[in-house]
This record gives sequence, C-alpha cells and structure tokens, in this order.
Amino acid sequence: MRPRAGSAGSAGWRPRPGAHRSAGGRSACRRLAAPECRLRAARPWLLLAPALAVLATLLLWPLLRLLLLSFQEYGLREIRTGESQYVGIDNYRALLNDSFLWTTALPNTVGFAVVCVVLTVATGTLVALLLQRLGRVWRVVVSAAVMAAWAMPAVTGTHVWIWIFDPLGGPVSGGLDGLGLIEPRETNWFTDRWSFYAIAALNVVHHGFPFVAITVFAGLLTIPRELPEAATVDGAGAWQRFRYVTVPTLRPVFTVVTVLSTIWDFKVFAQIYLMPGGDGTNPSVLNLGVWSYVRSFGRNDYGQGAAIAVLLTALLLAVTALYVRTLFRERDER
Amino acid sequence: MTAPAAPTAPAPTAPAPTAPAPDAAPRWRNASPDRRAPLRRLGLALAVAAVLGFALFPVYWMVSSALDPGADGRGAALLPSGITWDHFRHVLERGGFGRYLLNSALVGAATVLLAGALALFAAVAVARFRFRLRTKVLIMVLVVQMVPLEALVIPLFLQMRELRLLDTLLGLVVVYVALSLPFAIWTLRGFVAAVPPEIEEAAYLDGCGWWRMFRSVLLPLVAPGLVATGVFSFILAWNEFVFAFAFLQDRSRYTAAVGLRYFAGPYATDWGAVMAGSTLITVPVLVFFVVVQRRLASGLAAGAVKG
Repeated sequence: MRPRAGSAGSAGWRPRPGAHRSAGGRSACRRLAAPECRLRAARPWLLLAPALAVLATLLLWPLLRLLLLSFQEYGLREIRTGESQYVGIDNYRALLNDSFLWTTALPNTVGFAVVCVVLTVATGTLVALLLQRLGRVWRVVVSAAVMAAWAMPAVTGTHVWIWIFDPLGGPVSGGLDGLGLIEPRETNWFTDRWSFYAIAALNVVHHGFPFVAITVFAGLLTIPRELPEAATVDGAGAWQRFRYVTVPTLRPVFTVVTVLSTIWDFKVFAQIYLMPGGDGTNPSVLNLGVWSYVRSFGRNDYGQGAAIAVLLTALLLAVTALYVRTLFRERDER
Repeated sequence: MTAPAAPTAPAPTAPAPTAPAPDAAPRWRNASPDRRAPLRRLGLALAVAAVLGFALFPVYWMVSSALDPGADGRGAALLPSGITWDHFRHVLERGGFGRYLLNSALVGAATVLLAGALALFAAVAVARFRFRLRTKVLIMVLVVQMVPLEALVIPLFLQMRELRLLDTLLGLVVVYVALSLPFAIWTLRGFVAAVPPEIEEAAYLDGCGWWRMFRSVLLPLVAPGLVATGVFSFILAWNEFVFAFAFLQDRSRYTAAVGLRYFAGPYATDWGAVMAGSTLITVPVLVFFVVVQRRLASGLAAGAVKG
C-alpha cells in the first residue's frame, strides 16, 4: 500500500543510480566526486544527530546513571558533596530481602497491571465491535464520547474519580446512603487496599480503553468485507467470525495494544500517588513506581529508590523484549 | 494518505469453523436480520447507552460540580443545585491558576516546536535513506520508548540539579522533548514513508536541491503527520505530572497539573475549586482532540500498526 522502506519487503522499489538522489546509497555514489559522496553518506547522520543527542543525554545516560546509582549509597550528603560511594549489591540485597516487596509492592504492581490490561483490552475491543455495528450518526456520537474519555488527562481524571468516590459528598456514597446501604461517615474506600485499587482500576480502564477501541476499530475497517461474508456463508456465527476471522487478521493490532497497555499499566504513578493515602501515608497501597519515588524524594535514599526503579525497568524491558520479538516474528512470517 | 494501511498479516485461509453439519445450516438461516431485528436494536441501544454513560459520566460530573454553587454537599444529585462561575473565579483569581495554565501552555508550545523539528529530521533520515545501522537505530528508538519514564525521575532530577535547571520551565521542556521524541519519530516515519518518492524525484528533475525539496515538497505533504505528533507532544507536556512535581518548587513556576494538587488538601478539599481547575485543564485537551480526532487516531494507528 505504501513503500515500507527498510523492511525486508522494501526491495519493491530500488532507486535507480543517480536518478533518486535522496536514496543516498553507495550505488548512487559511484559517479560522483569524493567530497560530494561523503556529504551524501553523512546526510542521514546529520539529520539524525540532534534527535539522537537528545535521546542519548536525556534517556540513555539517565538510564545508565540509574543503574550506577542503584549500586551506591546516595543520600543528602552525597547530593551536597557530589561524591559517590559504591556499596556493591547492598541495595538489591536489602530490597529482595524486604518482605514488603513480596507481599505488597510487587503484587500491587503486577496484579493491578494484569487486571487493568485484561479489562482495558476487553472493553476497548467490545467498544470497537460496537462502533462497527452502528450507523453513521451513532458511530460519530459514540466515538466522540470515547474521545472525550481519552482526552481527560490522568491527573484531572484521578481527581474526578476521587471526588466520585468521596466518602462524604460524592455521588456513590450519597447514592448508597440514600438507599440505606452504607453509613457514609464510617465508609472510606480509600483506606482498604482492595477497594483503593478497584477505584484505581476504574480510573485506569476509563483512561486506557479509548486507545484500544480506536486502534482496533481502525484495524476492523481494514478487513475486507468479503472475509466475514464468506465466513457467514460458510455458516459461522458472530463469535466464530470474531474468533476465526477478526482475531487472526488483527493479531498484530492486538499484540500492540496489549503490550502498550501492559507497559502503561505497570508504571502508573499519578493515578496512585494522587489518591488519598497513595503518596506513601498508607503503605499497603504502594506500587513499585510510587515506592521508588517515596524512597528517593521522601526519605532521601536515592540509592535504594534507584534499585526499586531498576527492578521496575527490568520487568518492563522483559515485556518489551517479548513485544519486539513478537513483532519481528510476525514480520518474518509475511 | 492518513488511512491506516491494511495489516499485512496473512489472510486467514478459509475460516475453518467446525465444518457446519448439514442440519446446522438452517439454524443460521433462521437467525436472519429481519426476525431478530427488534431484539438486536434493543441490545445495541443498551450497549450504546452503557458506553456513553461510562465514557462521559466523569466528564459530566467534573463540569457540573465545577458549576454547582453547593458542590461539596452535592451527594448523588444528578443535576447541580444551580449554575455559578464562582469556583472558576476563585481558582483563577485567588488560586493563581491562570499563572499555572500559562506555564503549562509555554512548556507545551516549546515542546511541540522542538520535538517536531527534531523528530521530522530524524524521521526523514530513517524513512528515506538507507545507511548502515538504520534498523538498529529504529529498534533503539522503539526500545527507548518503552523505558519507564517514572524510573528516570531520580537520575534526571540529579542531572537537572547539576545543570541548575531544576525549578525552571526550561528544564521541563528539555525533558518533555526527550520523552515525546521516540513516539514522534516513529509516527512521522510512517507519514514520510507514505509520500511517494516519485514526487521527490520530480522536484529534483525540476532542479531543486535537497533542502529546497525538503522545504517545498516534503514538509507540506507531511504536515498532517506533524499536526498529529505536535498534538501528541503538547498533550504529553500539558498532562505530565511526575517530573513537574519533582522538579518545580517555586509556586509561581507550577504547571497546571501540579498546581491542581494545591487545592486538593489531604483533609478538607474544596471540591468545587478542584473540579473548576480540572475543567480548565481538560478543556484545551478536549478541543485539541476534537480538532484532530481523525488524524490523531489514524496517526496513532499508523504508528502502532506499522511496527
């Protein structure tokens, strides 16, 4: 459909030597004088240089520094003097021996991410399938509503969900009180770990399903009409059409939205930190991201905080590696 | 051009459902659209209502609470008890929220300009040139995108401290440019690749140099992509919380996302004010989404699907 430069299939168009100068390959160089040839070879690197410099100094170097910090004792004194004191794997030993990691922070992070990803992808896919079945007008209405949910920033969305579940003046407690189901002054959903994370999950799914819905819907539009029709003629029901036509055709799309949602949901920060008790005052609701932040900036133990952050990064890199491998395997199959 | 390209996954060979037994076929014929139409329409209507309710309720509750003079004791009243602009006046005049919004807008605009320029150059390089390490650069950009930004708060905080950029808006801009670059490069690459090379060749034949071709031919053609990535960068900068919260100390430099927290005290929260501030933060993003809805969606899909 369009030139996929660089992928294995891009052999389709080959720049004729000299004719297409932007190709800048070695083949185009043969007839040119040496300086001009060198300029041509350098051009992509000149274009890339600013972006790569920014990425290197602001993403790669900090990542390396994070790793170094996790092997150091780094507190207020070190911040002031700028010295660094390597302590080997002490930070990791303390972290992995901390029962808090195994009973609270890690389950909060992983369990929450798994639940949110399943709910987000399921909700998004259902909404996409709904959009496909709607007429023109309602499709515009529903997708506008979905866009509105998407547009709501995580920070404001979190405040709104806190307000909705506010034990004193919020609609949920007000409604349940009106039905005589709860005693509003004695109910606070933010103190209990499970209800705290249920509210956070509602917030994260509400914020995340639009991306899945819109992306899957865009994918659905690309399925040739003949495929589901042929399946119907062959006697397939709605579920079978979804299972045997839609899912295999859109597998790359599903892979991407699942992995991206996983990555986003693993590292939620603002949605937890801003909730009552989420900033460390209620330790039972800490996840890895917030724990790392509180350790570093609350207790000035940057080395230990860095070790937690490294653990989180390692978890995410594992997911990413899976993602890249899946993507490239699919490309090879084509 | 912006339409998401067809996924190139292998077309499933005939969907081989459990080979329909002869007696199963009539069952499907019975379920013709005509006979099930009313039920289906009811089901669709319920589904639409559920999606609209879930998607819009928080937005509605935010705006109506911001306008409700008695927001704090509102309870489950679906309609606000009245309409007032007092909460907005309160946050803007006494809360200094106008300053926060201005800071956010400045940071967002600077991020869009810088990230757009850097990403476009890089996208042209990876989409139009073949050079050694090209695939490696692309993979690196993809992997860097997956780095959890929250994990970088600690080292970037120390780095900005050493550069004396802590507690400045410039420090935030620099970080946001870096954060939005990988996605912007990845998305713009798709848009640049979608411009037929023949158009560029025509420009060369007409005597353009590379720079002239870039400015007069390529730039206008990838403008939709620039809009999409620009909106993305702006929203990223506008919404970002962790870095702004960690970097900024002086209240006059707060961005809106951080300033909002000032109204939400740990014990007594003035919910009318918080919702008014939330509305002020959300509205520009909402407008942006409406304006570029289609481009944003297809741009994201293109960036995501093209892998």
